[in-house]
Amino acid sequence: MPMIEVKNIRKSFGSNTVFDDFSVNFDQSGVTVILGPSGTGKSTLLRCINGLETIDAGDILVDSLSVKEKRNLREIRLACGMVFQQTTLFPHLDVLENLVISPVKIQKMDRKEAVDKARALLDKVGLGGREHSKHNELSGGEQQRIAIARAMMMNPRALLLDEITSALDPEMTAEVLRILEKLAGDGVVMLAVTHEISFAQRVADRVIFLEKGNLVADASVDDFFSGIKSNNERIARFLQNISQG
Amino acid sequence: MFEKYLKLTAYDAVFLLEATGTSLWITLVSISIGTVIGVVMGILRNSRNKLVSAIPLIYIEPLRNSPLITQLFLVYYGLPVVSGIVLDSNTAAIITLSLNTGAFFSVLMHNSIKAIPGAQWEAGLALGHSRLSVFINFIVPQVMRLLVPQAITLYINQLQCSSFVSLIGLIDLTKAGNILNLRTMRPFLIWTIMFAIYFIISYPLSQLAKKLEQKVAFSY
Amino acid sequence: MHLNFNFLGRFTQDLLQGAWLTLVISFFALILSFALGLCVALMRSSKSRVLQAMGRIWVEFLRNTPFLVQLYFFYFGLPELGIKTDPVVTSIIALGINGSAPNCEVIRAGLLAVKTGYYESAYALGYSSFQTFRYIVLPISLRIAFKPLTSNCINLVLTSSVAFSITVNDLMGVSKTIAAQTAKPFEVYIFIMLAYCVFTFIISFVSKAIDRKISIRL
Ligand SMILES: Nc1ncnc2c1ncn2[C@@H]1O[C@H](COP(=O)(O)OP(=O)(O)OP(=O)(O)O)[C@@H](O)[C@H]1O
Ligand SMILES: [Mg+2]
Repeated sequence: MPMIEVKNIRKSFGSNTVFDDFSVNFDQSGVTVILGPSGTGKSTLLRCINGLETIDAGDILVDSLSVKEKRNLREIRLACGMVFQQTTLFPHLDVLENLVISPVKIQKMDRKEAVDKARALLDKVGLGGREHSKHNELSGGEQQRIAIARAMMMNPRALLLDEITSALDPEMTAEVLRILEKLAGDGVVMLAVTHEISFAQRVADRVIFLEKGNLVADASVDDFFSGIKSNNERIARFLQNISQG
Repeated sequence: MFEKYLKLTAYDAVFLLEATGTSLWITLVSISIGTVIGVVMGILRNSRNKLVSAIPLIYIEPLRNSPLITQLFLVYYGLPVVSGIVLDSNTAAIITLSLNTGAFFSVLMHNSIKAIPGAQWEAGLALGHSRLSVFINFIVPQVMRLLVPQAITLYINQLQCSSFVSLIGLIDLTKAGNILNLRTMRPFLIWTIMFAIYFIISYPLSQLAKKLEQKVAFSY
Repeated sequence: MHLNFNFLGRFTQDLLQGAWLTLVISFFALILSFALGLCVALMRSSKSRVLQAMGRIWVEFLRNTPFLVQLYFFYFGLPELGIKTDPVVTSIIALGINGSAPNCEVIRAGLLAVKTGYYESAYALGYSSFQTFRYIVLPISLRIAFKPLTSNCINLVLTSSVAFSITVNDLMGVSKTIAAQTAKPFEVYIFIMLAYCVFTFIISFVSKAIDRKISIRL
């Protein structure tokens, strides 16, 4: 049984219909890279899965729990951590508190235990010494690594990553992607919207290509980059564009 | 020689002290009540329900857009005529200043909440917090940092506006100035003393507000 | 409760006169407060320590003492030094001086918000430092300051109502007389509150229209 089932959803903003009768499944394991031109609904898809947007029709099940039920939202969100493009550290808290506050408040984790866990995760993302820094003392890449660690505090089985490196320069991007690779190795399920082709080729198991709310391609990485690339002219052009830009 | 010029006695010093107390008391009570009103109204203003968010404007806008002194006269002279309830000048002053503070505070509150980026809400929700939990743990602390210095500035302003209550006969600091002025006929010095007293109370607070403002300036 | 505002019709003439005086006082006080505010803002941004300190004392003093006391000081205090005072002129001067403090603060903030890049590109184009200030920096900072300046302006109009306490027959002064004459203070003051609201709404309406034209987002 898939972990996330998107079943015939419709989603529109006013008169702008982003998805109409859209379906896709995501398995219990593996890394999926979501590609597609701007404005086709990649962010919207991730936000619907996490219940940040409501869907107009159809259903999304995470571990068989429907996002349409308000009382399921907490469990769904704990199962699927999310990291955004813009950094969203809480500016009134230092790094350690950013990580510790949620498990303590939501899961009633013992504070000491939470702190230990936070330290371990900070080490893992290579920021062991920075636990008392404030958000404005950190580079964009460091903030994103902390945002990843913060999401991992809740022990999610999946991470929803929405262009988390697109505001970063190449060096910082590489740092962040290294962390993701490590986590993928640990078996964390990932749905990653990204234009980092090399990341996709190295880490992903599956690539899906969205255009105007439709699934244009859905294939294993190897198939995608060898076969479809040459067969589908639209995708070939897209890939060429991002590898140049 | 100086005393002779001033024609002030120890009794006058006590009188001034009492009047200062009255000014501070009126201000303190009305900014406390006003803050409570302002917090409630400010939160209502941020309601996602359009109607609920608009209703407080009926209260806020007239008070922010008309002179405090007119409001004070309306409550002190006008209200008893139509309602039959006679208010002493103390009560009228506190009612008016509280409502007035409340109106301005609601706007500060509303703007401070609005200033927190929506991404902060989403980051909290995505971690599994309920809306209430996000509000309490993440939004309120950030709102406080924006709000506190502005609130202090408002309080200082209301302390100064409290001098208007002298115009409905309350013996506050300014009224005491009037009285001493009439007796001594030394307006230049009397009003200079008034300046000094108000300044001594108000200046440290304004410095505090400035310090806090510099400290909390964070960018997202 | 039974409210009837018809009786106010008899006082149309008085009310219009009062409103006119409020406008006149506000207008001149506004100009004064802007001019003074600009001067003090320049003092506070100058390199001279002395000018900076003087500007700061000016602002702190005005912001930390009540307008009413300032008004009394001018009206009652100055004659003791042999300076004769007229209520209307005194009101204008007191309001102008009082309003200069907040105006100074927002103009100063505007000056500070002009990035060094503008200075440099102006110098690179051959502007002198005065020309840079006059044609580049000042226009930019006044545009940035425009919105808060209009809210200061509204404040000033509302504060001008206190002038009645030194016998000025502005809108508030007139209404006080009418309230006493008719023994209908509730109706009178409600009406006057609304009248001031109309004033301020007009100001904010006009200023929003202007702001939309001239605003720049840095
Ligand atoms: N909150 C919103 N209100 C109105 N329209 C929205 C909203 N969010 C997204 N949209 C619209 O929905 C469509 C899909 O947006 P979405 O952000 O999902 O695209 P995307 O694939 O993530 O694009 P990008 O690569 O630029 O991030 C766009 O047309 C966008 O304008
Ligand atoms: Mg997007």
